[in-house]
Amino acid sequence: MNIFLRELKANFKSLIIWGVIVILFAVVGFAKFSAYAGNPDMLAILNELPQAFLDAFNMQAFNLTTLSGFYGVMFTYFALILSIAASMWGSDIISKEERDKTVEFSLTLPVTRSRLVTAKTLAGLVNCIGLLLITWGVTVISAQSYQPDSEFYDFLNLSILALFIMQLIFLAIGIFLGCAMKRYKRASSVAVSLLLGTYFLSIISELNKNLGFLKYFSPFRYFDPGMLLHDSRIDMTFVWLSLGIILVSMVGAYLTYARRDLYI
Amino acid sequence: MRMNIFQQEFKMHLRSVITWSVSVAALIFVFVSLFSSFAQDAALLNEAMAKFPKELLTAFGMNGVDLSTLLGYFSFAFLFAQICLAIQAANYGFSLVSIEEREWTADFLLAKPVGRAQILTSKLLAALSGLTITNMVVWISSFGFINLFKGDRTYETKPLLLLLLSIVVFQLFFLTVGLAVSLLLKRIRSVTPYAMALGFGMYVLSVFGDMLGESTLEKITPFKHFDPNYIIQHGAYDLPLVMISVAAIIISLVGSYWLYTRRDIPSVT
Repeated sequence: MNIFLRELKANFKSLIIWGVIVILFAVVGFAKFSAYAGNPDMLAILNELPQAFLDAFNMQAFNLTTLSGFYGVMFTYFALILSIAASMWGSDIISKEERDKTVEFSLTLPVTRSRLVTAKTLAGLVNCIGLLLITWGVTVISAQSYQPDSEFYDFLNLSILALFIMQLIFLAIGIFLGCAMKRYKRASSVAVSLLLGTYFLSIISELNKNLGFLKYFSPFRYFDPGMLLHDSRIDMTFVWLSLGIILVSMVGAYLTYARRDLYI
Repeated sequence: MRMNIFQQEFKMHLRSVITWSVSVAALIFVFVSLFSSFAQDAALLNEAMAKFPKELLTAFGMNGVDLSTLLGYFSFAFLFAQICLAIQAANYGFSLVSIEEREWTADFLLAKPVGRAQILTSKLLAALSGLTITNMVVWISSFGFINLFKGDRTYETKPLLLLLLSIVVFQLFFLTVGLAVSLLLKRIRSVTPYAMALGFGMYVLSVFGDMLGESTLEKITPFKHFDPNYIIQHGAYDLPLVMISVAAIIISLVGSYWLYTRRDIPSVT
């Protein structure tokens, strides 16, 4: 419990900073939306664009002039920001002990290594939930001036769930890397390269139909905002796949950290 | 400049330089190899776009994106290479001096009979030569892969050269701004979040701006200063915007020397 609280306190500043980034982003985004709301010219352009182009630019199936459509575009960027935050927290929370030379101290405490990992994971999780709530709150507040309907709220709630799963994936992978990497310095850079790699994959997978299978490797493609909006459902295949990734990462984290030779 | 500091720094960067170079080259390869299949879809797009008034397309940031031509498509791919280059350069910039303080080697280094300005110069040059290696790899892989996959299409060399020439300034921007920010802060615990925030943040700003139209906010991002679309389409730089980048580099550089020579360095006691 003390480790958990200690970690929460240590990460509080970082949560605030990420929160401010999300809020700024949403405010700027919605300020721009005001120019688009109900603008028929823009709608005409969007209707005529071919599908391949929209796909490549992550604008599939959205009518930017409606609130839900606009939020669908924002979703991609929220997903990016929240994933970056989650993978940073995950990879940092374990490896920072070695960087700051506090690991000897932590491990001489009368707690097992697995409890240490549990406490740190929970702290990371609370941070992720905090950031998610900030995202949700700022979106709801910004949306108020555009008469949100029930369809928008359904979409928003579903997309928040999708964002949460993505956060969990990257948090779990980050924690696993923090536990498994022999050189603590590499944990966060590997986490970042995975994140960038999967982001690029998500774009490449849309360029060519034959590369569609690549979407299984990129969490950024697991939850298609178009589907969230139009069908109001999440593709269960990807939920199971996500849960699998999270489970494997966490089990891997516990196993490797218990056997780990620490850098002192 | 001190040769031994330079060599030490360069050696420390080398592994990361190789990793980044290989990744960027691979990225360019994947994108360029997909060109021929994408070109057909893009041709459809051009037909659709021809129907719209120019102002609307400009507002949408899609004026002149001709993805069916080799260079048009490459400018789209190049953006992703830029993201990597930005994060790499920002990474080096943020870690350049801060790493010494984090690992308690700063007092050792500063006890050497070398001026602080000299230390900074050597470190900067070492980081810059690392970045230049990556830069060269981008040059080689761009030309190599374009020629490999172009088939019977032709392209103009000049816009491509201009595009590749912009990399140097682009890298310098992130290197020096990263350095200056790291010196403004008291302590950097982990470099990666900062580098990500600067590199990726600028990218998101630029794309988000693209999608929603021009605004003053987008003027601060180098992704807009060296917008591949603009360079390919006009065969020239958007000079006023490039000057913003150059000014930012100079200010950060001067500021970094000023801050570093006056910096209070923590030591182990």
